[in-house]
Amino acid sequence: MKKVMGAALGILTAIGGFVDIGDLVTNAVVGSRFGLSLAWVVAVGVVGICLFASMAGRVAAVSGRATFEIVRERLGPRVAGANVVASFAITLLTLTAEIGGIALALHLASSVEPRLWIPVAGLAVWLVLWRVKFEVMENVAGLMGLLLVGFAVALFLLGPDWGELLRQAVPPSPPGTEHAATYWYYAVALFGAAMTPYEVFFFSSGAVEERWTAKDLATNRINVLIGFPLGGLLSLSIAACAAVVLLPAGIEVSALSQIVLPVAQAGGPLLLAVVIVGIVAATFGAALETALSSGYSVAQYLGWSWGKFRRPAHAARFHVTMILAVLLGVGILMTSVDPVMVTEMSVVFSAVALPLTYVPILVVANDPQYMGRYVNGRFVNALGTVYLVIVVAAALAAVPLMIATGAGS
Amino acid sequence: MHRGQQEPGQATASVADALVEARSAAETTRLTVDLLARGRVTGPVADTALLDQLDALDEADRALTTLVPPDVTSSDRRTEGLTTVGDLTDVVVQAREWVAARSGGDLAGADAVPADADALLDDLAAATDAVEQALSEAGGP
Repeated sequence: MKKVMGAALGILTAIGGFVDIGDLVTNAVVGSRFGLSLAWVVAVGVVGICLFASMAGRVAAVSGRATFEIVRERLGPRVAGANVVASFAITLLTLTAEIGGIALALHLASSVEPRLWIPVAGLAVWLVLWRVKFEVMENVAGLMGLLLVGFAVALFLLGPDWGELLRQAVPPSPPGTEHAATYWYYAVALFGAAMTPYEVFFFSSGAVEERWTAKDLATNRINVLIGFPLGGLLSLSIAACAAVVLLPAGIEVSALSQIVLPVAQAGGPLLLAVVIVGIVAATFGAALETALSSGYSVAQYLGWSWGKFRRPAHAARFHVTMILAVLLGVGILMTSVDPVMVTEMSVVFSAVALPLTYVPILVVANDPQYMGRYVNGRFVNALGTVYLVIVVAAALAAVPLMIATGAGS
Repeated sequence: MHRGQQEPGQATASVADALVEARSAAETTRLTVDLLARGRVTGPVADTALLDQLDALDEADRALTTLVPPDVTSSDRRTEGLTTVGDLTDVVVQAREWVAARSGGDLAGADAVPADADALLDDLAAATDAVEQALSEAGGP
């Protein structure tokens, strides 16, 4: 019974933890401009993150070490160094976007200027990182983030023409009003949002924090294979709400406040309040995960003592790295940069950095020296190889598409 | 052609882009006012949504004011665009005051506050029609 409860909790936190500010903004922007014609990208992204997160979790469970500790040992300091530099930069950008997301959500709830909320959000993130136990932190943020299911409820209450939504999704093609290059730019952004590198850093290091062993492989598989796809459905609900209410009205999403209007239309103030709490929780949870991931990546590369399971005094450099990352994120936001723009940049540059994160995972998961009989099977390797091709194509196309389309404008 | 000037077609397309942004802001304002009038949205969310639309209109206005029109046609389109965006901004400002008054602000008798949601939505519809007209003349979608 305890195991079943543990698995259920893992699934729920995976659902709630899947959607962050990048998913929220990108899905709503895409829904308001392209309807559900990019739903296929969410599906491709979910399969990809399931594949690589379960691989990273398996490496951690079997070896008892986080994947990126092994990457340096297995591939050498240069390859691992390129990986850590790119991943840290992207994770920092994502952390900045998440702190901005918390501030924007609190602005929505209170009308108080987001710049006043940014330092409060940064302080709250640091306090939780400093004081709260890993399991409590992960479960509370994940479960509260589950309130984003309000978008799915709103979609049903709106009573859309399901046939029309299906026609938008299948066969996928850009609407006549949008240029093909813009369509592909958002396809890459959605893919980057679904497969953000911090998710695997967090997943593999979290497995070590929770002291997973080979006995936990089934839990790993269930969490990933049920939790992430259901999280993907939440993403699609956000896009569909925008497609049903905002697209026909000619509203192009440029602010978080527009994303919640379909929810208000469908469910009134109560559902709106539920969703705003969900947005605060989802962005707060993602801010914790990205701050931890920046600490994990640097500490694991440099061989420092790391982990929330250690007292801060025993992992001082790990905690200092996280504090610096949070301070940098707050500092960037206090320059008055638009948090939504930071979010859009973070998902596109995530796509650029994807190969540096996912190639090493595939290499390590195939090494019998670390994995023994738990190395990848043929099917996983075949799928992994297909995904590497997609990941490289997305990484190569991201910047040219951003320049050609003026960042999708 | 002077430095910073665009081709005539590009300049008109830039006017159209700014007006698409303005139309989106107008529709967001209409939806927000309608939802607040029906009690579907809270005052702080409505206020934030309208503030975001003022930012979007500011961006559209900036795109139009900094444009260097290369010919008479694009200059006329730009002037018309600036007028319609300015008129729309005035209505969104009024909408924000109406939200403040509904949320308990002491604005009784203030000239800028519309009498009710219907009056505000009428003003908004007129401003939106003007944006649509300008957009159509600029060859926008």
